[in-house]
Amino acid sequence: MMLFNKKKKLVSQNTSGNVNGKTMSNFYLSRQNSWLLCLCQCLNIAVVALELSTWMLIIIALSLAWQALLLQQNRATANTSRGKHPGTVQSNLASKRHSHGPSKQLATNISPVVLGIFALLGCVAIALTAKQVGILLSMVHLLCFSYALKGFELRTRRDFYQLLLLGLFILASALIFRQDLVFSLIILSLLIINLTVLLQFFSSENAFATNLKVVVVLLGQSALLAVVLFLVFPRLSPFWQVPFAKSAKTGLSDTVKPGDIANLTRSTKLAFRADFGGQKIPNYAQLYWRAMVLENYDGRQWRRQNKVTQNKADGSGTKSLIFDASNTEVLPLTYQVFVEASFQKYLFALAPAVVTGNASGITAQTDYTIQSSTIISQAKSYRLTSYLTAPLALELSPQSRQINLSYPQGSNPRLEQLALQLQHNYVDVQARAQAVLTLINQQNYSYTLQPPLLVNNSLDQFFFDSQAGFCVHYASAFTFLMRASGIPARLVTGYLGGEYNGVTNEVNSAGKIVNKGHLSIYQYDAHAWSEIWVAGKGWLRIDPTGAVDPQRVNIGWSNQLLQEQAELNNTFFNLYRMKNIAWLNTLRLQFDALDYQWTRWVIGFTSQQQYDLLKHWFGKMVPWKLALIIAVTLVLSMLMLMLLLHWLNRPKVKKQAFAQWQIIYHKAIDRLAKQGMEKPLAMTVNDFAKKIRQQYPELALVFTQLSASYNRLCYQTLSISEQEKQTVTMQQQYHHFIQVLKNSDKKHL
Amino acid sequence: MPQTPPVVDIVQASQAAITAILNKIETVVLGKPNECRLALACLLAQGHLLIEDLPGMGKTTLAHVLATTLGLTYQRTQFTNDLLPADIVGFSIFDQKTNRFELHKGPIFNQVVLADEINRASPKTQSALLEAMAEQQVSIDGITHELPRPFFVIATQNPLFHAGTYPLPESQLDRFMMRLSLGFPDIKAEKQILLTSSQRTNQKTADNQAAVVSQDELIAMQDAVSQISVSNDVLEYIIALSHVSRRAYSSHTSQVNNSGETAAIISCKPLSPRASKALLQAAKAMAFIDNRDYILPDDVQAVFYVVCQHRLEMQANQQLDPSQQESTSVARQILNSVDVLNPLGY
Repeated sequence: MMLFNKKKKLVSQNTSGNVNGKTMSNFYLSRQNSWLLCLCQCLNIAVVALELSTWMLIIIALSLAWQALLLQQNRATANTSRGKHPGTVQSNLASKRHSHGPSKQLATNISPVVLGIFALLGCVAIALTAKQVGILLSMVHLLCFSYALKGFELRTRRDFYQLLLLGLFILASALIFRQDLVFSLIILSLLIINLTVLLQFFSSENAFATNLKVVVVLLGQSALLAVVLFLVFPRLSPFWQVPFAKSAKTGLSDTVKPGDIANLTRSTKLAFRADFGGQKIPNYAQLYWRAMVLENYDGRQWRRQNKVTQNKADGSGTKSLIFDASNTEVLPLTYQVFVEASFQKYLFALAPAVVTGNASGITAQTDYTIQSSTIISQAKSYRLTSYLTAPLALELSPQSRQINLSYPQGSNPRLEQLALQLQHNYVDVQARAQAVLTLINQQNYSYTLQPPLLVNNSLDQFFFDSQAGFCVHYASAFTFLMRASGIPARLVTGYLGGEYNGVTNEVNSAGKIVNKGHLSIYQYDAHAWSEIWVAGKGWLRIDPTGAVDPQRVNIGWSNQLLQEQAELNNTFFNLYRMKNIAWLNTLRLQFDALDYQWTRWVIGFTSQQQYDLLKHWFGKMVPWKLALIIAVTLVLSMLMLMLLLHWLNRPKVKKQAFAQWQIIYHKAIDRLAKQGMEKPLAMTVNDFAKKIRQQYPELALVFTQLSASYNRLCYQTLSISEQEKQTVTMQQQYHHFIQVLKNSDKKHL
Repeated sequence: MPQTPPVVDIVQASQAAITAILNKIETVVLGKPNECRLALACLLAQGHLLIEDLPGMGKTTLAHVLATTLGLTYQRTQFTNDLLPADIVGFSIFDQKTNRFELHKGPIFNQVVLADEINRASPKTQSALLEAMAEQQVSIDGITHELPRPFFVIATQNPLFHAGTYPLPESQLDRFMMRLSLGFPDIKAEKQILLTSSQRTNQKTADNQAAVVSQDELIAMQDAVSQISVSNDVLEYIIALSHVSRRAYSSHTSQVNNSGETAAIISCKPLSPRASKALLQAAKAMAFIDNRDYILPDDVQAVFYVVCQHRLEMQANQQLDPSQQESTSVARQILNSVDVLNPLGY
């Protein structure tokens, strides 16, 4: 009965591998491969699942579940239909039109019309939500949607290819959203799985593990070419540039109200890294990474001055106000910053800084921040030189002064009153600021990640009632007090400190430690502080946080803060645990170092870096030279590929001496050898067929036919046309044989 | 020359006759269908047959039934150590009536010559057969006489370790296309033999059996056999087999044992081109019997042992030691070392 069922399948396969030599129109995927494909689909969707909206995820999950259900059903129908018409192969030939091979083909019992309507509805839904989620995400939605639906119409081999290709495309698009090391490794492993599924289709006789090995080896071999192309292939915009993903990201925003940054500190995501290239890294308390200067205060939140008014305020000659390195005698500190994709324009610097090296689109601003002209949608690196102790803006334009003194009158009456008092008591500007700090320090203020909620973001309430807050609270209140007491002041946000990772440090021959480490600055290092302008000294950085929690400013997070964060995050691998379990922390640092190298050398390899590298290798770059290099590389790599192929085919050249029937027969006996039925060297074809007949009765018929064909082709003198005909027959017999073999395999399993 | 019908037709037309012949032989030589087929193949291939076995195993019976079934004239000659060449080929005798020398044809002028216990005769007598077997002609007193067609020598011999035996010279052995040994019958066959032997006077039943085919038919079949087509693959297979024996021989004689392949084969004599020819011819006959007009390696393998083993053995005729098995023989080892699918090992 079992055998009969196999035959039926065989026949449908047999007739589809047709005689005319056209491509197979009928597509057959074994049960195991169908399940593999289904699993593969799920995994591919999973990598972009975070970016998809819930409704889309539900649709995709439903359609994948449906496909799985169909697969399951097919198995049931295949089982029940077994043995209904015990007949000869010939009679089955007649009924082959009705007997599709089971498994994925029955998936077609969703009518194409329904599928089409469903697809159309989905597209309309995607189009409707496109405005909300942005063009890129809606494209990803569309991709995933079609990927999920394509599984329903696996009718031809082409459909199968399309499905796999879509899957690979999804994997590639997933890299738009995340590029870190772990994620890239996940994508790589998924790529391997996808390719293995493809290979499985072609050589399903092999075990999955065998095919997996083949794919890994192939990928390993092609890695060299990939590296070469990675290095020299032009990164043409816009093709080679990742489109902007409009997605909510952790990071600083350009409006800040008290309580904002406290939320940000729950995130342990990396913000950026800084590499000082072996120089001495400044003290923790000096590592104020400036991101944004917020000068507008409306009584509730701080806002950036928009550029036009800012320029107007600074006067026309904005250039002159940008920090000029030539006038200062302060020692320069040069370092490289590697930022993660923030989908913002601001960058980080230890002010005042100038951009060194040729980083296009990155400019220093008049407020001593560094900005990118485009949104940072992928990891980016730039080189800066900072003059840490140099004064900022010794002159202040009237407009600027006015902006930095303004505050909504009456928004925080008690603070205003205090400010007047201070103004009265302390004439000296710096003494006035110091008085506030002393006040904060001596009174019962506390520094906490869980500040009480403030009504209307009232600074009064914070300063006089709750007296518990995070950096923004203190900086806001301080800046407000300063402004109210007549000192130009502004809020600066950015990051404070950073974690030094010395895992990559080396000891040189002289026994000294070569500093190869880097600073990793995480989102929880986000900070806000104040600047006041003092005549003759320029903008002075005052960090009121230091008055309430000196440890935060000088060393980093206190254990109490870490604990608070752990409670808030409620994850197992929280920072508190991480930092207090030594081996875990070492592991974390090791991984961070690895990820840094990945970011630096792979993700950070932008067109600029590429240009520099090529320049380093080949001298000054001119377009024709670039084109020549690319062309030569391509030609060379193709040549190498051809040589490699030629070399790989070398043993096969011998095989070409074999006639086609010999190859087929060898394939067949190789398959049997894998089953443990090795053909002894000296055994004739007929004797072997006899042996198979005895040991594998279900193979008897088909293998004997195959052997007879071989004998005829090999030993009988046939005319050319007879030979061709017999070869075609033998090919069919071979396919038939493979099918029977597979099925008997399954049975034995 | 008139166009002869294609081989395929002859092959197919002959099948009935072949089956009939085999059936008839097998009713006499019980329980040895394979040996019967080989013997018939040998005859169809126009080769001579050497049957080597212990006394009383049915050697003579086989020879006899072959001759009668094929409708050939037949004479048996018992070889003894005092047998002279003239006893075999014949001699001229002076006829006093006609005053002339008259030729007395010896037993060799029969179509089937059964040389019983050939190794009991002296080498001189044995070699008298030589010319006859190779050239199908004999010379008596300087006059050459053609032998009848078909001409077929069936010799039987006792194993060498038996008393009073002269080993056949290698050159003579080489003239025999096949060397068969019948071996002991199995229980069932032996029972049958015992039952039937009580009902008949052994030889006579075979004698009384009428011929199944005519001489002309037999000659046509023999011609058809030689026209059986041989593919390149089979030719290469045969060549590969003889090459293995030659390599093994040279590595043995030069005492260099460098390659594992030849080292595995025990010492053997090389196969001559005549041996290859015999092998091919015998294989053709096997294919013919199998109703095919082309040779398969199966045919070559089927006849390889009987065609080549006696040409391969180092010490001639030391065979038939019952412990010697076909499966461990030199011939088998050579067969096992050649890849059927790719004989010359591209």
